[in-house]
Amino acid sequence: MNFFKRAWLNIWAKKGRSILLILVSSAILMFVLAGLLIRSAAVKATETAKNDAGATMTLSANRQAAFKKMSQSSSSSSSKTSRPKLTLTPVKLSDATKIAKLSNIKNYNVTSSTSANAKSYDTVSTTTGMGGNSGGPGGMKSSTSSGDTQIDGVTATSLTTTFSDSQSKITKGRGITASDKNTNNVVIEKELASQNNLTVGDTMTFKETSGDKATVKVKIVGIYKASSTSSASAGPMSTDPSNTIYASYTLANTIKGSKYAGTADSVTFNVTNPAKVSATKKAGNKLISSKYSLSTDDASYQSVKASMDNVEGFANKIVWLVAIAGTIILALIVILMIRERRFEIGVLLSLGEARWKIVAQFFTEMLMVIVVAIAIAGAGGKFVGNQLGSQLVSQSTTTQTTTSTTSGQPGGSGQPGGTKGGSGGPGNMQATSTKTKDPNLEIAVSAVDLAELGGFGLAITFLSIMIASGGILRLEPKKVLIS
Amino acid sequence: MLKTQDLGYWYQDKTQPLFQGINLTFEPGKSYAILGHSGTGKTTFLSLIAGLDKPKEGDILLGDRSLKQIGLTNYRRHDVAIVFQAYNLFTYMSPMNNLLTAMAITEAEHAGDRAYAKQILNDLGIGDDLIDRNVQHLSGGQQQRVAIARTMCCDAQLVVADEPTGNLDEDNTKAVIDQFQRIAHEQNKCVIIVTHEPDVAAQCDHQYRLENKQFTQLA
Repeated sequence: MNFFKRAWLNIWAKKGRSILLILVSSAILMFVLAGLLIRSAAVKATETAKNDAGATMTLSANRQAAFKKMSQSSSSSSSKTSRPKLTLTPVKLSDATKIAKLSNIKNYNVTSSTSANAKSYDTVSTTTGMGGNSGGPGGMKSSTSSGDTQIDGVTATSLTTTFSDSQSKITKGRGITASDKNTNNVVIEKELASQNNLTVGDTMTFKETSGDKATVKVKIVGIYKASSTSSASAGPMSTDPSNTIYASYTLANTIKGSKYAGTADSVTFNVTNPAKVSATKKAGNKLISSKYSLSTDDASYQSVKASMDNVEGFANKIVWLVAIAGTIILALIVILMIRERRFEIGVLLSLGEARWKIVAQFFTEMLMVIVVAIAIAGAGGKFVGNQLGSQLVSQSTTTQTTTSTTSGQPGGSGQPGGTKGGSGGPGNMQATSTKTKDPNLEIAVSAVDLAELGGFGLAITFLSIMIASGGILRLEPKKVLIS
Repeated sequence: MLKTQDLGYWYQDKTQPLFQGINLTFEPGKSYAILGHSGTGKTTFLSLIAGLDKPKEGDILLGDRSLKQIGLTNYRRHDVAIVFQAYNLFTYMSPMNNLLTAMAITEAEHAGDRAYAKQILNDLGIGDDLIDRNVQHLSGGQQQRVAIARTMCCDAQLVVADEPTGNLDEDNTKAVIDQFQRIAHEQNKCVIIVTHEPDVAAQCDHQYRLENKQFTQLA
């Protein structure tokens, strides 16, 4: 194995050339490593997005089926005076429980909304340009059977997007939890509380808008602050968002009437693995009748996934392009090196050295160079990867945002299902917001990345030597040494 | 030891051979000079007996085996040592490493023996202060002596030299030829020197002139 010694002697004797080769190889491998790091970080980020971005599945009344039924009854009805009525079947909680048992369901939130009229307190009035049309404070109170107070019945406030996205925050006391089921505990808005000098522990009363219009006494267990942007989403026909009270869905059902016990307007399921949301929806559909529909919202996950897919795809291209370009560059360098060392090869051949051992000598020399280059690239690759990765992510996120803005349709993402008696009522314009986190690439050099880089380095060296060794295999010592 | 049988060589046109029908015998323990003007084919002849090229016709026998049977790479590794006009040492190595490398490749008996290599270098006037210095820092005469030392440290019984004194001054020329004579007579090897210098040729035991596609023995 004399070629090892020759390789070492050559590398050591020609330090300048060796350093240049190390620098060129380091630059090539640094970009390969940057690509590898970005790719693995993108894969990791996509995995994290599955957990963080989340996806939901909502069970609600099937509006389409209800409309169909309404139009059928309209055409078959002989009476010209009676107008057809859209009847939405409330969701049965027993159906929701069945779906909640599916493997991919993390938890679920029951939503049942209604409205009531303030009795022991004054609602917050909104002063807008529409005030003249709405008849002053109280908005729709005087013109419809809807109440001036919106009651959002939920399983837990923390499970609602308004609170999980921090659009609303509990400032005093606590939010509604599953333990508030079958209680009259409520959480009210800060402005409503301050206007009526209410605080945690106080009680307040309101009147039902339908049925016997009974008075309901509730206990305040928490005060929340709605973000100022919430009012912007409310339509001109709605009251101030401060008049929204959160309670357990059981309380909302009680206010709506006894026939609504064990039902909900909708049930939102949080999905464990957003990648499998379609499969879960399919499984869920088998458990419910056609009166209900399951809709999914994995826009946040899809947005992060698409963004990361772009980054991953680009990183893959970087890896392969740099690897191919690197192989070509190194091959050209080795070809030039071999041409320069024709006499040495000639002498080796004249001494009877096997051609493969000469090729092995060149390979060993390049291997020594590559080992040092891998170490340098390992140190610098993280920096290049960070720079390149953050640039890629910002570009990719911008592209995704632009695309979704262009393709989005107004109101297209609204949740199906309204509230009985609450249709057109205050606060019913609550829009579904999609929580989209900016994907973040955490670039870190791991042993696996270095091993992969080593593999690429080895492959690049091997290929470049193989390409260049044609010259060695064809070389005739006589022509070099004697001519 | 080495025999050529109806040896012939041409480059492109068979009708215009460099030489043809050459039958020569080279014995161990003797030195041979091959004289000739430029372009007569003496270096081509040397490349054939050095195993660097294949004859177009005829054969070369080492003992009773043809070079074709031995294989040119094997032949070059074990049976022949070559000295070039341009020395052709490994320029990134010291004289010592040049010898050790040659011994390793040719699988010489003393492969890896630094003392043996040092002794040969010292015998050829390469002192201890020079043996670990890069060969590029040596003079032309010293480099040629290292090249000769390289042939001596290997076990090859045939030493061929192509214009070994072409780049040397008179003193170094004499020293180098003396070394070849010692290799032939003291180590009992067969030395074949291609030269265009009659003075160099005159110091060898036998002289052949290549002229008009034929070899003529002068002495």
